[in-house]
Amino acid sequence: MIKKHQPLRKFPDYKSSISRSPNKEPLRINSSSSEMSGPLFRENIINKNDNDLTLNFSKIGEKPLGQEIFVHGFVKDENGNNLKNVLIEIWQANAGGKYRHQNDPSNIKLDENFGGCGRFITSSDGYYIFKTIEPGAYPYPNRGTEWRPRHIHFSLLGSMFIQRLITQMYFEGDPLIKSCPMINSIPDINARKLLIGKLDLSKTENEKILGYRFDIILRGKEQTFFENKREGL
Amino acid sequence: MNEPKKLIDTPSQTAGPFLHIGCTPRITGINIFKSELGLTSFQDISDNEAINIKGKIYDGNDEPIIDAMIETWQCDENGNYSSNQGFARIVTDFKTGEYQLKTIRPGNKINTDGSLSASYITFWIVARGMNRPLITRMYFLENDLRNDLMLNSIKIEDRLNTLIPYTEDNKNFIFNIYLQGKKETIFFEF
Repeated sequence: MIKKHQPLRKFPDYKSSISRSPNKEPLRINSSSSEMSGPLFRENIINKNDNDLTLNFSKIGEKPLGQEIFVHGFVKDENGNNLKNVLIEIWQANAGGKYRHQNDPSNIKLDENFGGCGRFITSSDGYYIFKTIEPGAYPYPNRGTEWRPRHIHFSLLGSMFIQRLITQMYFEGDPLIKSCPMINSIPDINARKLLIGKLDLSKTENEKILGYRFDIILRGKEQTFFENKREGL
Repeated sequence: MNEPKKLIDTPSQTAGPFLHIGCTPRITGINIFKSELGLTSFQDISDNEAINIKGKIYDGNDEPIIDAMIETWQCDENGNYSSNQGFARIVTDFKTGEYQLKTIRPGNKINTDGSLSASYITFWIVARGMNRPLITRMYFLENDLRNDLMLNSIKIEDRLNTLIPYTEDNKNFIFNIYLQGKKETIFFEF
């Protein structure tokens, strides 16, 4: 069973996927009420600056280092309908490529004005926006040392648990994208492009901030785009 | 007549080892949001109705995964799903890999066709090394599991026990998840 627009679970070029993916095929079953329902989060969990990573952790009057950017777009379903009330959580490294996390071995400095996470709930027209700084690329052990392209992690919770998605947005033109095994684990080359935030010069603020546009499509009840029939177990 | 062309859903990517920053930020020392999400699956669980589930997720080398996040989703004691309860977000311990969940036992209800719904908790798992989430279910009774999955057509008899937790008292459950090997857990796709 292969959905060519979704990554392969086991993709040996990404070393840790070898031991962290099942060897057997998943069991395909019909979705039921447990997949068609889901938790709903409302505006009351959101603070005003939750979607502004340049402000939500910084000291008063200070800013994190790095190029300030907007990342914005629409969340839609497979039919192109805009999805409201989708909780989006993002997290990322600072401008030097360091995460505010006790398990990050990098000796790059933390930015005392940058936490690296944000939250937003899509508006009635499915729109979202974050203000942040461009994250740095960073090395990690894989086939020897490799470099992650600059990226922002996205987590989305829609109205149905079957729509639950965690993904990453990459930046248009980043030369590290081509060799990234996590991106290349997606068999369909065109689908890989869906993960790239496009430079959007129309989105700015006093012409001091770069914009990136990243639309996200959440799947529906039916599983589509099966290239092959089920292989069984 | 042509069916309307569907959009391709955005590909999944690994949540990576630092997912806590975005999903459970207080663990990383970031206290900027109003609340941590999914801290409790239900409000005010009484001692009487509480059940405790714990376990580890083992990778193909039989090592517990120490950087996973599990989201659980379940119905209430009457078998009903509600958008304001039943969701929990738990992470595996950085040292031991153990997760712990305090919740209530999901109930059964009568379906529209007269059958009884099965009692289970959905486990949705992400971690470094997982390009896509892994989805499994913890059932409480093997009978529920058989009816629910219509297993007559599927040859997984010898693996059914991977979806049933160990318990001595129906109060405390151990539910380990194995990604590979002889005890490989059944994972679902919808």
